[in-house]
Amino acid sequence: MSFFLRNGRNKSDGAIERMREQAYQLTNETQLIIKQTSQLVAGAEAQSRSLDEALSGANQLTSSLQETSTQADSIAVSVEQLGSSTNEMAVSIEQVTANIVSLSVSVAQTAASSEQTAASIQHVASSANEIANSTTQMTVAITEMSASIKTVSVDTEALTGAVNQTAAAIEEMNRSIGSVAANAKGLTGAAEQTASSINEMGASIEEVTAVTENLSGLVEQIGASIEQTAQSIQGVASNTAQITEAATNAATSATQLDRSIHSVAALTKQADEITRRTARDAEEGGATVQRSIQGFGRVRDSMAQSTGVIREMGKRANEIGSIVDTINVIAERTNLLSLNASIEAARAGDAGRGFAVIAEEIRNLADRSARATSDIAAIIKGLQEAVQDAVTASNDGLRVAEEGSRLAEDGAAGLKKILVGIEESTRLVSQIARATDEQMSAGQTVAAAINTTATQAKHVSVATAEQSKVVQTVVQSSLQMRKITQQVAQAMNEQSRAARTIIKSAQNTTLLAGQVHKAAEEQANGMGQIAQAVSSMRQGSVTTARALAEQVTASSQVAQEADRLTYTIAGISKAIGEQARALVDISSAVDNMRRQSDQSAKAMNEQTRAVNEISSATQNAAAQIKLITRANREHTSAATHVLTALGTIRQISDEGIQAAQQIQQAGSRLAGHASALTTINPGRNGTGV
Amino acid sequence: MGEVGATTQTYILCELAGATYGIPSIMVQHIEMVERITPLPNAPPAVEGVVFSRGQVIPALNLRRRFGFEPIAHNLRTRLVVIRSGARTVGLLVDTAREFVAIPYDAIQPPPQSINQLSGDYLAGIATLGNRLILILRVDDLLITSDGLATAGAAD
Repeated sequence: MSFFLRNGRNKSDGAIERMREQAYQLTNETQLIIKQTSQLVAGAEAQSRSLDEALSGANQLTSSLQETSTQADSIAVSVEQLGSSTNEMAVSIEQVTANIVSLSVSVAQTAASSEQTAASIQHVASSANEIANSTTQMTVAITEMSASIKTVSVDTEALTGAVNQTAAAIEEMNRSIGSVAANAKGLTGAAEQTASSINEMGASIEEVTAVTENLSGLVEQIGASIEQTAQSIQGVASNTAQITEAATNAATSATQLDRSIHSVAALTKQADEITRRTARDAEEGGATVQRSIQGFGRVRDSMAQSTGVIREMGKRANEIGSIVDTINVIAERTNLLSLNASIEAARAGDAGRGFAVIAEEIRNLADRSARATSDIAAIIKGLQEAVQDAVTASNDGLRVAEEGSRLAEDGAAGLKKILVGIEESTRLVSQIARATDEQMSAGQTVAAAINTTATQAKHVSVATAEQSKVVQTVVQSSLQMRKITQQVAQAMNEQSRAARTIIKSAQNTTLLAGQVHKAAEEQANGMGQIAQAVSSMRQGSVTTARALAEQVTASSQVAQEADRLTYTIAGISKAIGEQARALVDISSAVDNMRRQSDQSAKAMNEQTRAVNEISSATQNAAAQIKLITRANREHTSAATHVLTALGTIRQISDEGIQAAQQIQQAGSRLAGHASALTTINPGRNGTGV
Repeated sequence: MGEVGATTQTYILCELAGATYGIPSIMVQHIEMVERITPLPNAPPAVEGVVFSRGQVIPALNLRRRFGFEPIAHNLRTRLVVIRSGARTVGLLVDTAREFVAIPYDAIQPPPQSINQLSGDYLAGIATLGNRLILILRVDDLLITSDGLATAGAAD
């Protein structure tokens, strides 16, 4: 009997020893997990902080970009760069999509793991069935034990004294064994719970690992996008510097233009004065010419009058000439008559001598008269010649006067034309002056606009420099994030390894718990046999009825044990249910992941569509929007994407933190269980005497 | 008849082609102005035609043509000097005739021998009157030697 007891006790001791080692190992691993999880949480929080920095930097960048956008509306830069960036972003989005696909694959793997978990649960269920079988066997054994009690119940009375002592010891031991069994059952349950928790934790760690890898990829892509943005911002800075230089040159040109317009205005004013003076002179000249024309007219009239007078005089001279001719004829005839008288007187001889003298005197008078008429004729001839000359001269004068009048009229017409031309010139000069005034104001406006452009370009340059600085900070944050993410991934991998180890040790624990359970069963079996022996002994010492009653009591105790077994089985079933629930949780988590991945894919499609829209909008706007606007839009878009991606990262990181906290909680629970295990064993040692 | 004194004779002075000719007034019937000359057919060149003068028709001899000078147009001063020699009456057309002078005989010299052959017998002599030279015409010879005038003169 005592051998039997010792034997069972030795088996129990070995198993408990191993279990305690396993519990220590489990405690250590759990503490390691807790530490790693703390590191993970710290890393995730650091990542979250760095994400906050990145977010604030990105917000700063976005606000700066918006400021730049408002300022740089008039300065357009490189829509084509935006297009290429959009294409690069589309490529990046495609990469993200590919990563999401890989995330889906990992979700599928998680689903496979869930299936494996389900299989394991099935396995647990079969173990529960086995436990049920063993319970049935135990019931059979109890039945057998009842029969044995009935057969042994004869000689119990004799053994009552010893039995009472032994019974006391046995009852004590029995209580201890019962407590051990209860503890073993509790241990088994705890081990099952631990295993399920560890599985849960493992799944969660896998999930976190996958999420972290995804996050790492996202962070890499964001880092690349941010570097591209930084390059693009530097391109914008160089373009802005060129614009500033061009604006400065334009300002110089505008100043020169303004000076030139001023000199043109001064010249135009001089031209206007000269033209007005010329117009006055021309008007005076016209008046003078008009007076000349009038004078010529008077000259012509008086010439005509003179000619008329002279012609009249010539006519009178002709009349005088004819009179003189008549006188001359008379003189000639007188001469002739006197000659003939002289001839007749000569014929008359002395008688005609007196008559001859008279004829001689008559002839002398006639000759004097003829000479006078001849003189008069000569004078009249000279007069007529003078008249003719005067008429000719008068005609010449008339002609000259008419010609002068005509020339003066020509001059007047020329002056009128000059006046018309001068009026036209005055009008044109006035127009030029007005246009020059307009040009002056326009030139000042242009200069002001160019100065505004230069100022805006400087603002843009300053803003771009700030952007560059912010982007450098973002790049640094991104690099830090990348490093942290890599560390987190590494920690997650380590956690995964540790979780696998834990799972293995938990399985070992479960196995050992099973062994403990089995040993406890064997002990219980031994105890049943002991009880049987005690019953026999008591049968031998107590009456059959009492022995039977005691047996009935023992049987009811056994039934109670069976009930407890059933209860344990129920507990196992409950644990299986919990496992199933955990499986459902895992399934829902997987579904959530799938949904998230679907949402991500949808979001990525939307992004792709948005990128396509941006691309088409950019192409449409390409002809009109200048390079800087495009680059700003690119920046804004990239910053928005960075913000979105950062938000996604933030979300994922939050989820990671949540999962890590769950891991932490699970680890804490595990640690509790492990410490419970550790505290159970010394109790066993204390009562094991 | 024309004898005024024993020592002088009266002459009608005629101007012809710049020279002064003297015709003895005893030979001159009268002087008249040229009015109308009727040309004659087949007349000699020097005979310009006939004129009707104081009831008789007399030939008009152009003395310029007769003496070989260039003829000139008639004018107010042109004179027809009507000469009567024997039975013949002839009108001499001269540039003008407006003087009646008495020339002493001793003032008249015979024409030089050297020109006698050239001018024929028309010059009776050359008289000097003051500074003037006066060619004295021999009218009878002039009328006789005038071709074709014998008939014309014979009509009278």
